[in-house]
Amino acid sequence: MKYKDYYQILGVARGATEDEIKKAYRRLAHKYHPDVSKEPNAEERFKEIGEAYEVLKDKEKRAAYDRLGQHRPGEDFRPPPDWAEQFARGFGRGGFGAGAYTEEVDLSDLFGDLFGTARGAGRGAKFAMPGQDYEAVVQLPLEDAARGTEVSLDLNVPEYDAEGMPRRKPKTIKVRIPKGVTDGQKLRVPGKGGPGMNGGPPGALYLDIKLRPHPLFQPSGHDLYLEVPVTPTEAALGTAIEVPTLEGRVRLKIPAGARSGQKLRLAGKGLPTPDGAHGDLYAVVQVVTPSTLTPKERELYEQLGRLSTFNPREHFDRR
Amino acid sequence: MTPQELLLSEFTLVSVSDIAASSGLSPREIEELVELGVFEPRAHEAAHALFSARCIELARAARRLQLDFELPLAGVALALTYRERIRELEERLHRIECELPGRARGR
Repeated sequence: MKYKDYYQILGVARGATEDEIKKAYRRLAHKYHPDVSKEPNAEERFKEIGEAYEVLKDKEKRAAYDRLGQHRPGEDFRPPPDWAEQFARGFGRGGFGAGAYTEEVDLSDLFGDLFGTARGAGRGAKFAMPGQDYEAVVQLPLEDAARGTEVSLDLNVPEYDAEGMPRRKPKTIKVRIPKGVTDGQKLRVPGKGGPGMNGGPPGALYLDIKLRPHPLFQPSGHDLYLEVPVTPTEAALGTAIEVPTLEGRVRLKIPAGARSGQKLRLAGKGLPTPDGAHGDLYAVVQVVTPSTLTPKERELYEQLGRLSTFNPREHFDRR
Repeated sequence: MTPQELLLSEFTLVSVSDIAASSGLSPREIEELVELGVFEPRAHEAAHALFSARCIELARAARRLQLDFELPLAGVALALTYRERIRELEERLHRIECELPGRARGR
């Protein structure tokens, strides 16, 4: 079993008072709570912080934890003999076998099981309990989000072995993603969470859908944005060009006098929506000037400059 | 999508009991969050209010905030209201950024 230093995780001394532990937890929870934090590793950090607080805020659990001694974080260790029996809350549990504490045993699962506080735990209870919900993030290419797809997720989930010891086991779960999901949406998949207890239903899997950045399209809800570079000549005179969509190329008319930032809407060429409609594709015009000119181009631009009456700074003179 | 899977979007409607079962909030707490303006019924079916499936996501966040910060429901409601406001503003900002020319070159 791998050791976790709950005191170090909360940044408190081993002799910290309940109040100091609570304050440390609150400070860290504000920083890392996934519902309020923008830190990149917030969810992972908050799990550690919550797990540490769950043990250290409770006198009994803290005493049990302290009896494990102090080890280096991540160090493989074994609890002292009779440790579990000393603290088990009489859920009809016997002791764990001698070989029970292998490295797949997670300290938090063990505490949850020992004290009957883990969600979906309480195996001595006689009432039906739903299984634990699992949460996972799935990264999808935009094309898969548009068409729908099936994904295989490799999760590390808590399970009980033949000796009744909670262990982390790798599990592969296949999920079908409906077409038209958008970035940040959640998908609930019933029955794909942990097993229920005493006849309770299994938990659900909650998927947090993230769209991978696309080299051309930028999604916003069900709409897509495509930047369309045009030359100054094309912008001034107007033209018809081919632009990519998720369903292949389409013809787009650039009106004469187009300006950078102008949005041209291609109705229904965005992502499908759950009600059977489609979002739109917006082509955002960007007038791009060449960074180098041939002598002939330069000559023609200079000629145009002399002939042109267009003054984009005319409004400066009116003030 | 199999009939069981549910995209937590604005397009699908769910009942209070579904929100309660998915979040761990009690129906009474959900009613209180309705009264506090966090959830808004989208339709009624046989005198029962129906809500958008996104409310499941909000209710689960409410439950986490309640447990993890030991917040009273009124505090949870306030935190969720601000969270939703931030989400709306982030979506608007993202849309405005999408409309800016020159973004593709920075990617």
